Amino acid sequence: MRSSPFFHFLLRLLYQQKGKHIGAMVISVLMIFLLSSVLFVSSALQHSMMQTLQGEPDFTVSRVRAGVPAPLPLDWIDEISQLNGVTSVVPRVYGRYYFTPKGDSFLVVGVDMFDEQNIHAISTLLHEVNLQAFLAKPSMFVGEGVKHFLKRHYFSDHFNFKMPNGHFKEVAIVDVLPHNTNLLASNMVLMPLALAQEIFGFSSEEVSDISFNVPNDAEWRTIQNKLQWMFYDVRVVTKKEIKEAYIHLFNYKGGLFLALYLVAMLTFMLILYQRYTMVYTTERKEIGILRAVGWSINDILRLKLYENMTIVGVSFLVGVVLAYGYVFLLDAPLLRQIFLGSGTLLESISFVPYIPFGLLGSLFLMYAVPFLVAVLVPAWRVAVTPPKEAML
Amino acid sequence: MIEVQGVSKTYNDGTSQAFDALKEVSFCVKKGEMVTLLGVSGSGKSTLLSLLAGLDRPSQGKIVVDGELISKLPDLHASRYRAKGVGIVFQHFNLLESLSVEENVMVPLIHAGISMETLQSRVSKSMELASITHKATQKVKALSGGEKQRCAIARALVHDPALILCDEPTANLDRANSLKFIEILQTLKGLGKTIVVATHDPLFENLSFVDRVIGMESGEIVQ
Repeated sequence: MRSSPFFHFLLRLLYQQKGKHIGAMVISVLMIFLLSSVLFVSSALQHSMMQTLQGEPDFTVSRVRAGVPAPLPLDWIDEISQLNGVTSVVPRVYGRYYFTPKGDSFLVVGVDMFDEQNIHAISTLLHEVNLQAFLAKPSMFVGEGVKHFLKRHYFSDHFNFKMPNGHFKEVAIVDVLPHNTNLLASNMVLMPLALAQEIFGFSSEEVSDISFNVPNDAEWRTIQNKLQWMFYDVRVVTKKEIKEAYIHLFNYKGGLFLALYLVAMLTFMLILYQRYTMVYTTERKEIGILRAVGWSINDILRLKLYENMTIVGVSFLVGVVLAYGYVFLLDAPLLRQIFLGSGTLLESISFVPYIPFGLLGSLFLMYAVPFLVAVLVPAWRVAVTPPKEAML
Repeated sequence: MIEVQGVSKTYNDGTSQAFDALKEVSFCVKKGEMVTLLGVSGSGKSTLLSLLAGLDRPSQGKIVVDGELISKLPDLHASRYRAKGVGIVFQHFNLLESLSVEENVMVPLIHAGISMETLQSRVSKSMELASITHKATQKVKALSGGEKQRCAIARALVHDPALILCDEPTANLDRANSLKFIEILQTLKGLGKTIVVATHDPLFENLSFVDRVIGMESGEIVQ
């Protein structure tokens, strides 16, 4: 093997001079770890949101009066169903139930349990659920966050909802929503439509919103316009708009971190450059010695390139592996609060592993290229000076 | 082997601080000869040696080594010339302090295009010749001056050069180590190497195996 002495020498050099590289490696690992963690969190959130949104209806229609959400009549279902291209029109009661005023709240979702689409969705989520038993008495499914929260308040198998008329409604907890839905469903309570209407004080002819699908994307704009003509106080939200809102939200937070990272990276590279240019006289002498015993400028640059590529590669790998463990095994303490906000109901959210290889590749380039330039340029400047001068 | 013709070297040429380190120096060294450049500090010995090593270029004149005009060599060719044809022993040893003796000795062979086995065998042979095998795995910074000098000799010999240049090789050694170094030089002479030693050490003045002593003073040959 023609090049094996070179790699043998490179490894021995790296091993013998490990103390020289440790500072740069520690800072590199820390920076890669921080940014990879942010990337992992934002990508996992986006990915989970996108996965969840795939099962969501294309359109959600609600009513707004004077800018305030108002119940909408069930008659709207018939009118919407008559629009060409519209399928699966389903009513829903949707709202926040505050456990304490301004305190922790649940997201109560009441759906029509006799609707074919809803039955299918629920049986996909909860394989062993007995719908008959569920409908026999006031019952609900709760997210993991709600389950833990209620348990802390001594409600292990039921909860008493206080209704607008001042009475309490006891609702049994039948099952907990699956762990992988936690991102959206951790603080969610799922119950029959009629029960939700009763808890929020809606009449049996009122719901909070109506959802439906429009399989042909090209019709979405037309349907939206038709709804505006049909109902003057309608608010229409499409799945695409929700998707974009989430993407913007997480990109915005991730972007802030990216900006901070770039500033830190620039500072680090300047320090590296300064260190290799001015301070490191040993490095300068070493290059001079290698040149004096017959190494060419290219040989020196090749050694420095491989030496620093090893440092870059190892630092990057360690940083990414640590970030993976921090986000997907430890659920990113601290960082999770920044992205999701704090709240007792969000404690049980965990991130589903998702690795954004494209973003990691970009991160690698953003880190490796400036690092190598910051080290190779000073090395090249020494290598081109006469060996006698460099050895002084 | 070596032809030096009218070589001059001026530092800071064209400025008010111009300094003539060598003035019209000419001499020849035959293959297998051992020549001592003798003179006080600042006489131009080290400058002449660095020109012979291809570490610097003369301001004027020409240097031919083994038929190759090394005074005009481009940088890449000068590196190849040093890697194949010359072994240099520096006054301050110029070793990579953080590496072991063995690792320092292998440095000139890294880009020689040889296998790891050949490299290791050459390194062992060279360390043996310089009597430093017993310190092979020790880091250079832990060695004494004499041991560092022997490590530098092993490194200078490892690629089997025809020409060996030594710049003030005993300046940092005690008498015992200096004599040991002279013994090694005699062995190398016996192996047919061409050797040029720049020194001001009186020990080199009356050595039986030295073919010629060239005296230098203020950048000129005086005898």
